[in-house]
Amino acid sequence: MGALAIKNVTKSFGDTDILKGINIDIDAGQFLILVGPSGCGKSTLMNIIAGLEGPTSGEVHIGDRVVNNVAPKDRDIAMVFQSYALYPTMNVRQNIAFGLETRKVPKAEQDEIIARVAKMLQIEHLLGRKPSELSGGQRQRVAMGRALARNPKLFLFDEPLSNLDAKLRVEMRAEIKQLHQRLKTTIVYVTHDQIEAMTLGDRIAVMKDGVIQQFGSPQEIYDSPANLFVAGFIGSPSMNFIPCHIAEQGGVLGVALQGEGEPVFFALPERLNVQGRVGQAVILGLRPEQFDQADAGGVACRIRITEPTGPDTMLLSQLNGRDIIARVHPRHAPAAGELCSLVPDLRKAVLFDPETQTRIG
Amino acid sequence: MAEQGKFWRAVVYGSLLIAAVYYLLPLYVMLTTSVKSMEEIRAGNLLSLPLDITFAAWSKAWSTACTGVECTGLQPYFWNSVAMVVPAVAISTALGAVNGYVLSKWQFRGSEVVFAMILFGVFIPFQVLLLPMAQTLGLFGMANSITGLVFVHVVCGLASTTLFFRNYYVGIPDELIKAARLDGAGFWRIFFRIILPMSTPILTVTVIWQFTQIWNDFLFGVVFSSIDSRPITVGLNNLANTSTSVKEYNVDMAAALIAALPTIVVYVLAGKYFVRGLTAGAVKG
Ligand SMILES: Nc1ncnc2c1ncn2[C@@H]1O[C@H](COP(=O)(O)OP(=O)(O)O)[C@@H](O)[C@H]1O
Ligand SMILES: [Mg+2]
Repeated sequence: MGALAIKNVTKSFGDTDILKGINIDIDAGQFLILVGPSGCGKSTLMNIIAGLEGPTSGEVHIGDRVVNNVAPKDRDIAMVFQSYALYPTMNVRQNIAFGLETRKVPKAEQDEIIARVAKMLQIEHLLGRKPSELSGGQRQRVAMGRALARNPKLFLFDEPLSNLDAKLRVEMRAEIKQLHQRLKTTIVYVTHDQIEAMTLGDRIAVMKDGVIQQFGSPQEIYDSPANLFVAGFIGSPSMNFIPCHIAEQGGVLGVALQGEGEPVFFALPERLNVQGRVGQAVILGLRPEQFDQADAGGVACRIRITEPTGPDTMLLSQLNGRDIIARVHPRHAPAAGELCSLVPDLRKAVLFDPETQTRIG
Repeated sequence: MAEQGKFWRAVVYGSLLIAAVYYLLPLYVMLTTSVKSMEEIRAGNLLSLPLDITFAAWSKAWSTACTGVECTGLQPYFWNSVAMVVPAVAISTALGAVNGYVLSKWQFRGSEVVFAMILFGVFIPFQVLLLPMAQTLGLFGMANSITGLVFVHVVCGLASTTLFFRNYYVGIPDELIKAARLDGAGFWRIFFRIILPMSTPILTVTVIWQFTQIWNDFLFGVVFSSIDSRPITVGLNNLANTSTSVKEYNVDMAAALIAALPTIVVYVLAGKYFVRGLTAGAVKG
């Protein structure tokens, strides 16, 4: 059953087109991530889903009804904001109760709901406090509590973790995921952090400049990015983009990679369908983990910098005149300045057209 | 180093002291003169302390001094002013708060233009309003009445109060309003339950500002009032200008102090909040 469908939604402020025809469709219980750089229109789309702003054109469906003309409060949604938006003059209990009061929920039932939500989020001991007396993480919990109290059909989270420090962010991320697994409510979650996007989402919509660049599962987006933007945005460190020409050697199609020394020819997998493109310029996309260190069959590279992260070591070098990063096991990692033989694993490589920037294979 | 620090500190405090004396001296002269008898005033010097404290001048200024032909003291003027100030401050502050709320949180097409026009109102010299205002008051049948004065002060105060509240509310995050809308609250419920409880600092500033402006106003008071609706500033002027055989300095001083007392009291009681309200940004979440 469809939980949320966005059909050809556009939004303009004056002459500026912020959203340029958004289409998204998700099922009940799914966790949708809207990810993209700051200013690409994520919050605007969120406000349109919530009904806080109207679309310039297009339709928003929640459940089985068109909600374009339904007031925010009647859309059966709850939202958690980046700034938490807790009412500063009310204590935590009043913050959670405010929406219930407005909806004329009987007092006894209110108390029951507040108790349940407070227990679920472990904020029982905070109920008497004002927001100014809470830490960032506690405010975050209260904001979620306020949303949970509503028991909505659809949760909207607009960058809920971006004001927390790194450690707390990882903790809350896990909690949100757990919450979703427990409640099975549909969630739309906005972030500009691609790690949050990958770890939380069932479905990811990558946005840029008011256009959805790709919509799919995290693995699809990671393995088969639709274009250079998505490929570069998702994954950390970013995918390496190496300019090459399709060449033929001994009846096999491939590309030549050159580090320090002579170019080395590598065959491309058949999956990439590059027949007929011999001689054409392409951009080879290789993720940092798609390199191995080996004594034979590699391309010699001068390592400029090494960045140990603990489990892996990042090697910064150059291929075909372009900076690249390879992720290798720290045990055999060379030192900066040394030569090293890197073997690209082209089985998962992707190719992009340098003109259109879209993936060709 | 320490010696030099002490020297400069002495210079700073010395200059502050001189400035303070400069400003306090008139008040001192007014206070002492108001509790002296006329004999003592004639005999003594301006700065001498009173030998024999008497409140006769205060009593006369309040209830029997002549302000033109009637000799009722400042008393009726004082109550006229109270009857004018209380509703005028309340209404102009309330309207300013709602205006500021709309202009910052419920912007509509053209609301920036409306705001710019209101802002313009802050800079209009009130003298140019006298004639059209007189016609308006006549039209509404409010000429020469306290109601009319309240109306004038509300209209003329609205620009400032709107500006105060609008600038304060701009600092309140919009997400708060969005959250409340999703919680099902409407325009007024958001205003009364969320915005107003956050407004104490700016309310204090506005009330003090408006109170001082309206209580101290002379121009509108003298132009738009009649014999039984004159505010205290006009009463004071009349009292001081009524020619008597001898100039009663003690009564004049007492009268001036009576006229100034309410604003002084307001500052003493709420001045702390005034400074805090002027410096504080919006309440942080
Ligand atoms: N009310 C508005 N009026 C004009 N421009 C706006 C308004 N709201 C947002 N914008 C513009 O729309 C763009 C997208 O904003 P937003 O949706 O907040 O981006 P994101 O949440 O992805 O960072 C920004 O360039 C922003 O300046
Ligand atoms: Mg945003």
